[in-house]
Amino acid sequence: MRLSDLYFLMPLLILVGAATLNMLVVAVKRNHKVIFGITIVAHLVAVFTLLQLNGSSYQIPPFFVMDGWGIFNLGLILLTSLFVTLLSYAYFEQREERKEEYYLLLILATLGACVLVISQHFMALFLGLEILSVALYSLIAYLRTRERSDEAGIKYLILAALSSAFLLFGMALVYAVTGTMSFPEIGVYLQSVSELPLLLLTGFGLMIVGIGFKLGIVPFHMWAPDVYEGAPAPVTAFIATVSKGGMMGLLIRFFSQADAYRYANLMLIFTIIAIASMLAGNLLALRQKNIKRLLAYSSIAHLGYILVAFLAGNRLGVEAVSFYLVAYFITSLGAFGVVALLSDTERDADQLEDYRGLFWRRPATAAVFTAMLLSLAGIPLTAGFVGKFYILASGVNTQQWLLVLMLVLNSVIGLYYYIKVIAAMFAQTKSVQERRKVLHPALSFASGGAMAILGLLLIWIGVYPTSLVQLIRGLLATFMTTF
Amino acid sequence: MENLLWLVPALPFAGALILIITGTRLSRPLVSLIGVGSVGVSALLTLILGSQFLSAGPTEPVYQQVVWQWFSVEGFNPGIAFHLDALSMVFIFVITFVGFLIHLYSTAYMADDDGFARFFAYLNLFVGSMLVLVLADNLVLLYLGWEGVGLCSYLLIGFWYKEPANGYAARKAFIITRVGDTALAIGLFMLFQLFGTLHIQTIATEAPQTWAVGSQAATIIAFLLLGGAVGKSGQLPLQTWLPDAMAGPTPVSALIHAATMVTAGVYLITRMHVIFELAPTAMLTVAIIGAVTLLIAGCAALAQSDLKRVLAYSTISQIGYMFLALGVGAWSAGIFHFMIHAFFKALLFLSAGAIIISLHHEQNMFRMGGLRKLLPAVFWTFLIGSASLAALPLITAGFYSKDQILWYAMAGERGNTWLYLAGLLGAFITAIYTFRMVFITFYGAPKSHVTHPPGPIITVPLIILAVLSLLGGFIELPHNFGHVVLFSDFLTPLLPAIHANDALGTSEWIFQLVAAIISLSGVYLAYVFYLQKPALQANMEQSSLFRAVHRFWYSGWGFDKLYDTLFVRPYVFLARINKNDIIDKIYAALAAIAQVLNRSLAQTQSGILRWYMMGVVVGALLIITLSLLP
Repeated sequence: MRLSDLYFLMPLLILVGAATLNMLVVAVKRNHKVIFGITIVAHLVAVFTLLQLNGSSYQIPPFFVMDGWGIFNLGLILLTSLFVTLLSYAYFEQREERKEEYYLLLILATLGACVLVISQHFMALFLGLEILSVALYSLIAYLRTRERSDEAGIKYLILAALSSAFLLFGMALVYAVTGTMSFPEIGVYLQSVSELPLLLLTGFGLMIVGIGFKLGIVPFHMWAPDVYEGAPAPVTAFIATVSKGGMMGLLIRFFSQADAYRYANLMLIFTIIAIASMLAGNLLALRQKNIKRLLAYSSIAHLGYILVAFLAGNRLGVEAVSFYLVAYFITSLGAFGVVALLSDTERDADQLEDYRGLFWRRPATAAVFTAMLLSLAGIPLTAGFVGKFYILASGVNTQQWLLVLMLVLNSVIGLYYYIKVIAAMFAQTKSVQERRKVLHPALSFASGGAMAILGLLLIWIGVYPTSLVQLIRGLLATFMTTF
Repeated sequence: MENLLWLVPALPFAGALILIITGTRLSRPLVSLIGVGSVGVSALLTLILGSQFLSAGPTEPVYQQVVWQWFSVEGFNPGIAFHLDALSMVFIFVITFVGFLIHLYSTAYMADDDGFARFFAYLNLFVGSMLVLVLADNLVLLYLGWEGVGLCSYLLIGFWYKEPANGYAARKAFIITRVGDTALAIGLFMLFQLFGTLHIQTIATEAPQTWAVGSQAATIIAFLLLGGAVGKSGQLPLQTWLPDAMAGPTPVSALIHAATMVTAGVYLITRMHVIFELAPTAMLTVAIIGAVTLLIAGCAALAQSDLKRVLAYSTISQIGYMFLALGVGAWSAGIFHFMIHAFFKALLFLSAGAIIISLHHEQNMFRMGGLRKLLPAVFWTFLIGSASLAALPLITAGFYSKDQILWYAMAGERGNTWLYLAGLLGAFITAIYTFRMVFITFYGAPKSHVTHPPGPIITVPLIILAVLSLLGGFIELPHNFGHVVLFSDFLTPLLPAIHANDALGTSEWIFQLVAAIISLSGVYLAYVFYLQKPALQANMEQSSLFRAVHRFWYSGWGFDKLYDTLFVRPYVFLARINKNDIIDKIYAALAAIAQVLNRSLAQTQSGILRWYMMGVVVGALLIITLSLLP
């Protein structure tokens, strides 16, 4: 351990510090505002220290590597977590549970995802995964008096444990064959053998189970709707974004460092998973009346889209994944942010009926939600369109016609249920529902501001994607020397 | 200054946006200020840019401005980038300047209309789209402007949408031009496939290196581009929408159907002239289309009784001349005629509008008469416009521009006698129908009362345009007298010069004399028939042959009927027998399959944990099996 290692790990250390500080403050005196403030500041400082790093590759042997890809993902995760925090304040302020520990858990979950994306070793991988998962168990069940909260938490706990077991066993098998747990060294081993031992293939297969579970892709997707529905809306946003994005970052790092794109079997598995995820996600969402479940299904499909770009296995593909992740994160945060914003003290606003005629009651909220849904559907001038175009380009570029065809077909299916929600929002309702206790306006200032920023970002990236593309290209320059 | 280029199209767009959002809440003077002001400032900027452009000297100055790059993926990088060279300079000058005059005129013309703000929003949007079209440095942006123009023409033709006939005319214009647009889009796809870019300048440099003259790809693409051009420019066989498009308010006719939109096709062909020069067959086709169209439309104009329809057919016919010029390779002559035509045709439409509104929306010429005394200012401007249209020798701009086209149709490398004769005959017909219109409308006994005499806001634009219609021609005089070549010099670095056949070189004056005599004799014939001896006309109407021809020409050579029989009826018939829509069944089936799959998949989301675990385990088994496949 060198001193400069600390400098490079500063964003993570700040999160650790913030978590500790929050714990101590809670022990002295509970104050929602103070904890909220500490969390926000911690995120900002972490992002700031991240900006001080240049994109060059820095090894922290044996666990971590801080390169352009890592910095990109760290930035994405930290900013996303910042937005989740902003959205959380108003949401939890109107709830009776103790609010303060929530932020503690959120910081820890973020930390886990951060560890995940810069790890290049099985140990670090598992460590990050467990930090993330354990924090998520309690986050999902945080509103423990709610009807579906416990159920969602327990389901996630059991299934996550099950898939972790698969992952561990897979890693053990890989270790048994290769004698190493570090990604680059596994890559070196793979170079040296002409044919892969069966044991190693089995190990990879089992690892896919664990990875697939976190990504929420078919056939490991079934937890998604139940957990999305049961978890508090900000936590749902977190699961949809940070937890999945962290795993995606890891997957791409593993594949490129171990150069696993060469193996037709693995590619075939991911191709089948991608197609199945797109189809299952979109088809399941078709007649869904619960917005949180609908978004859960839609996120299954979107991970399928991302896999199309992942399968391209070249620089363009990784660029497309990065771009799509940003677009998808903004959109998911925005969509769940609206759900959080509209939720009252009793329950989350997750029924389609809650959104009927929303435009006539809250035009700004409805406009943001419409923009988010259009982006999910991939309509031009939103970030989602450029992202989808990017993915299509990478698919066409590597001539994966089947995947491209399925992507197009699924975009059509997806349009139906997104438009359905938009149509509901613009429907004229005769009686305005008077059911919610209106919050003090200052409370929702953070949420409103966050939503406005997200909406503007969405349009900005859709209209002027070049800036983001340049950023991604710059950061990826130090990554993927293999391509 | 050239950094301000983007403002030229941006200002009208901004005007349109403001008017669309806040239009109904603004007072009329404010609406006029925004609507007219935005185009006015654009015109001013254009003049400043133009003077800079001219003072830059003989080296070809080109202003490039990349406003905004949308994205750049695998060589496909659509952007908002503008390219100003001599050709687009001429176009933006005409669009903004004539457009400004028309906007100004409209404030008086539309003063009592309920949709005042809506009207100016559309007009601004239209001018903005047209500017994008001619300034675009890549074909994607050009296509955006192209479609924007199409949309605005739909909105403006159907402006008085409460009248079903207007809505019909708007749809007709939209659908028929769409046929051409489709051809153009396919052409663009092919260009992208072959060159990997849609950047106009790149294509222009690479095309001659890629293709030999007459190569198949160049010919196909040239024909597809031509398809787009004939749709927008109202040329054979897609001309039928233009006469009906007169349903819109008259300033709209002046703006869209005389000065700017219909010349988009001329612009497209000139802009892509490199490709056309590689495809001699397509060039010849352009010339033939132009020649045939100018004759057919000229004859149709002879038989019309609605003032605006005469002008509409004359527009088709005059654009036929431009196509003829382009087809024989006389690029700068075509563009010169475009500019002069924009002046006098806008003048004629606006004068006609002044008449129509003075007579309380009367458009039938045969119910006018004697307006010479009642509307003197309009009479003089209309007369000047007509003289220019009929190409009266020496004094009018129309003579110089048309003479140039006729000369190159004969003496140009690609010209021939037949094209020349068609052009000459067309000139004769033009003179007849133009002065038929003048004599019927302004001479004879008054048949109606003038209720709204035009005010200064209407007459001032007319006078400016009248001056331009007379003097505009003097910047380009024939070789044998005057030899002023300011305009073609301006375009020369950009467009290849045309060389006249040397054998005919000395006899140019004979052709000019013939053209002058033809035009004057046409005027005389109209004078004899409609003013001196109306009995001759009455005699002719006795003959059944004459009546049949008249009916035939009146209906625009029966093209509507022909298309109705060839396309509309079979289509309606197919639609009727396919009432339950067989093709739709496929989509209905897809939707049904999706529903069924949804139901069966929904079963898996039982909420029961042990099933979920089973899912994970089965998935794991499948994956291991797959990963162990040989």
